[in-house]
Amino acid sequence: MMNVIPVVELEDLKVKLGRREILHGITCRLGVSGTGKAIGLLGPNGAGKSTLILTLLGFLRPSAGRARILGVDCAHSVGDARSRIGYMPENDSFIGDMTAVAFVRQMAELSGLPSEAALEKAHQVLFHVGLGEARYRELRTYSLGMKQMAKLAQAIVHGPELVVLDEPTNGLDPAARRRMLKLIVEMKNEQGMNVLVCSHLLRDIEQVCDEAVIMKDGAIVHHCDLEQERRSNRSFVELEVTGDDRRLRAALPEIGAEGVSEGFGRWRIVLPPGVDVNAIWTLVGRQQLLVRKLTHRRDTLEEIFLKAMGHLAQTPGEAGLEVGQS
Amino acid sequence: MAVYKRGYRRYSGPLTGRWARFLVLPRYAWRRLYRQRLVLLLTIVSFVWPMLCAGFIYLTNHAELLQGLDREFREFIQVDGRFFSIFMYVQAGFAVFLAALAGPGLIAPDLANNALPLYFSRPLTRWSYALARLTVLVGMLSIVTWIPGLMLFWLQVGLAGGSWFTANWSLGAGMVAGFLVWLLILSLVAMASSAYVKWRVVAAAVSLAFFFILSGVAEMIDNVLRVRWGHIIDPAWAVNQVWRALLGVTPTEGPGATASALALAVIVLLLVVVIERKLRPVEIVS
Repeated sequence: MMNVIPVVELEDLKVKLGRREILHGITCRLGVSGTGKAIGLLGPNGAGKSTLILTLLGFLRPSAGRARILGVDCAHSVGDARSRIGYMPENDSFIGDMTAVAFVRQMAELSGLPSEAALEKAHQVLFHVGLGEARYRELRTYSLGMKQMAKLAQAIVHGPELVVLDEPTNGLDPAARRRMLKLIVEMKNEQGMNVLVCSHLLRDIEQVCDEAVIMKDGAIVHHCDLEQERRSNRSFVELEVTGDDRRLRAALPEIGAEGVSEGFGRWRIVLPPGVDVNAIWTLVGRQQLLVRKLTHRRDTLEEIFLKAMGHLAQTPGEAGLEVGQS
Repeated sequence: MAVYKRGYRRYSGPLTGRWARFLVLPRYAWRRLYRQRLVLLLTIVSFVWPMLCAGFIYLTNHAELLQGLDREFREFIQVDGRFFSIFMYVQAGFAVFLAALAGPGLIAPDLANNALPLYFSRPLTRWSYALARLTVLVGMLSIVTWIPGLMLFWLQVGLAGGSWFTANWSLGAGMVAGFLVWLLILSLVAMASSAYVKWRVVAAAVSLAFFFILSGVAEMIDNVLRVRWGHIIDPAWAVNQVWRALLGVTPTEGPGATASALALAVIVLLLVVVIERKLRPVEIVS
């Protein structure tokens, strides 16, 4: 059997800042090394996301337990771990009086690239993130969006196995945000990099991540495989029809589905695996019903997040599942 | 193919060794430092005195040129410990101003721009970062201190012959060691002020003030308490005392070379602690 190395592996990890314990014994395994997947780290302010990232980078030492990145202990083999990581911090981090190309080249050389290769990669990566034309400008003259891109460039210039992005879309306008998310998706899909994204923006995480971890009060309260959620949620359908829908319940088993009427023509239907939504269209057409609304009802990450935070008793998807089971 | 057409691909080539990586920061810093006109100008000006000293050495080794001079004066102008100590005082002064000019540009911008997390997220420890910054200053100041000093020493050896070297090799070694002690203190002071004050000009002023204030306080202690040990807290005085011992020149009144060396060691230790506390990728408020 192949030895699977998780991207992040935490074993009863406890971290203290001063005398206050911030992370309370977290244990989890996230992602698989070399698969080019993105992991989202979510949580409200003070949940411990940044502390976890700083611990993974070796900036903070665990008071107990272990943290490993790509199989390397973050506290005892800091150099090894860091040589395989690219980090994009949340706040402004750069050297103002350097041009973007000099800055990125210096960072590449610090990561171990020979001088010539570092220069070449600096040019390449700056074009890649859309700063090609501005690469000879000093960083202090950059706009906020350009600085974010420059930070991303320095994080990936050396081709790390894991890129840690702390609030990558912070302060970006919609177009720049879209571009940033596109770059993240490219990083994992085309370059095969693993990405750890820490963000408050659930939609960003939902859009680019394959896994999500929700933290609260220094602990992990939910860990979900977003890809699996996406797949499973496809089986829940919300339907709204006009016309006599009394025979619909009896007709649903024809396509292997089950459903419950909520009155006024509203239905919640659970489709069996392998049956897609077109089957509903056909069935409803045969019943001579007029469809007013037909949507896949999937749990959004927001709903999963709200449930994890204790603000929702159950997600709509779970409610749908109960319908299916009844 | 043009870079913009090539697209980005992950780097998969060979990596450099630890030392090459360590030297990246000094290389970039030196390049930036010598772009500052004032630094370049002061560096050039600081070569004037070594040139004059070279002329002096040439003169003392050419008896025919000194024929018309008074015998006492001819005996006075010797290349000995006193000569090298005078050379060192002047160059040490240049080094103070160069350190104050160049030092603040090393750490202060990294702190002001929050660049430390970027450095420390790479295989670079806090100690190697600090050592790299120290290398920048020591390297830059070496150009105007012990390197020209050693060249003068070898010039004298070349002109006076092997017998002079056998009798005076300790002058060369003492000068290099003495300068290195001074450069270490200067660099640490400049780094400490740069680590705590984000504005370059203020950091430069703090760096200079450190020496003047300690010198003033030392004088005050001596005068108020009617003692001589107060000077031990003045690094310039203490280093002078150490130099005199290394070059075999009569020491000035006050604590001896060993006590001065110990005082300098304590100052170095304190400065290292001060710098260590500030150079962190994240600030933790307990």
